[in-house]
Amino acid sequence: MNRELARDIILSIIIILAQLLIFNHMNLFGTINPFIYVSLFILYKTSYDKTYLIIFGFLVGLIIDLSMQTYGIHTLASITVCYLKEKIEKYSFGVNSILPLAMISGTQLTNRITYFLIIIFLHSLIYFSLIFFKLEFTLTIFLYTLINSIVNFIIIWIISKLIFDK
Amino acid sequence: MQSIINSIIKNRNLIIYLLLSFISFNYLYNNSSIHYSGIGKIGTFISGSTSIIYSNINSYFNLKEENSKLIEENLELKKIESQLIGISNKSNISESKIDKTISAKVILNSINKNKNIIVINKGEFDGITSDMGVISSKGVVGVIKNITDNYSSIVSLLNTDLRINAILKNSSTIGSISWDGLDPRIVQLNDIPLSSSIKVGDTIVTGGMSFYFPKGIPIGKIEDYNNTSLEGYYSIDVSIFNDFSSLSNLYILERTDNEEIKFLLNE
Repeated sequence: MNRELARDIILSIIIILAQLLIFNHMNLFGTINPFIYVSLFILYKTSYDKTYLIIFGFLVGLIIDLSMQTYGIHTLASITVCYLKEKIEKYSFGVNSILPLAMISGTQLTNRITYFLIIIFLHSLIYFSLIFFKLEFTLTIFLYTLINSIVNFIIIWIISKLIFDK
Repeated sequence: MQSIINSIIKNRNLIIYLLLSFISFNYLYNNSSIHYSGIGKIGTFISGSTSIIYSNINSYFNLKEENSKLIEENLELKKIESQLIGISNKSNISESKIDKTISAKVILNSINKNKNIIVINKGEFDGITSDMGVISSKGVVGVIKNITDNYSSIVSLLNTDLRINAILKNSSTIGSISWDGLDPRIVQLNDIPLSSSIKVGDTIVTGGMSFYFPKGIPIGKIEDYNNTSLEGYYSIDVSIFNDFSSLSNLYILERTDNEEIKFLLNE
């Protein structure tokens, strides 16, 4: 158990560092920043405490905000996703969500895709809504959210494959 | 107590989430100018719309007080106006002095008789004497007739007994206003000779050559006239500025020189 926790912590640090050092500086198509740190919330084990997840989300979001000068926008998106994670799990996996580590293997592919997409989309939506923060940009917000979600989904899906196939 | 703690523990995730959201929002609000102004706008909107409701309700309850304040203010303005009229027409009516005006409320009014009387809530105790002129914010109303301790009756302009000295504002031709007892919106201007030129829309004001009113208080404007009279005078219909059916606040003009003039006349 301790070994598993240590492994998860190291993995988290690697993902955060990768976000800070590589993905923050990456501008796909001129505007898209992949937020791979969202994978930390997606892959946060269901056996760990939910309260810690919210605090963890806050700390991760704050680190990203400080590095990207976004003054709490990542933090708000992160804690909202973390808070709603349990509900999204239940919605995506149904009964299986009670089982620990349910999503990692042995679940339906469509369930997993739904789960990933909802979290990523929600995170992007909150992020871009707060970035633009004006009603007249509603269409732009949706467009950015959509494109960003698709790119993020692809990258996070690959990362999750890399981590769990080992 | 135990149940409160239990419910806090049960909802700890929500509480922590709200707390951290608040911290994040505060961070965002204090550092980003877009969000500062955006959230500020929402704040202004909420505070503005709630306080307008409050002020609407509040002002409704303060209407009475507001009303009396306005009457007082009106009185002051009337005083200033009469002084100004006095200055601008010094050569004509230096004899007419308005020392003060008294405000009163209408408690009884009629327009459907041919000798209409208005009763107001001020009387001898308030300094009212007979033959004082009464005006409203729009113009001449009538003349005080009978007085009791607390009430007075006014001979309305819509009373066939009343004749008021009047002039055409533009040409200063002198005539007199009276009512024929028919239409409560129309009074008649008499004694204007056919030699003077008049046109529809000319303003009629008080002439100042009576004990009742100083010069220049509006009465009405010419609605129609007829110059076919054989007596050499126009017969002129004047539509009055005041709506006598909705009179509420009146001002009584107190002239200090009336007694002196009367004394002179009696000599």
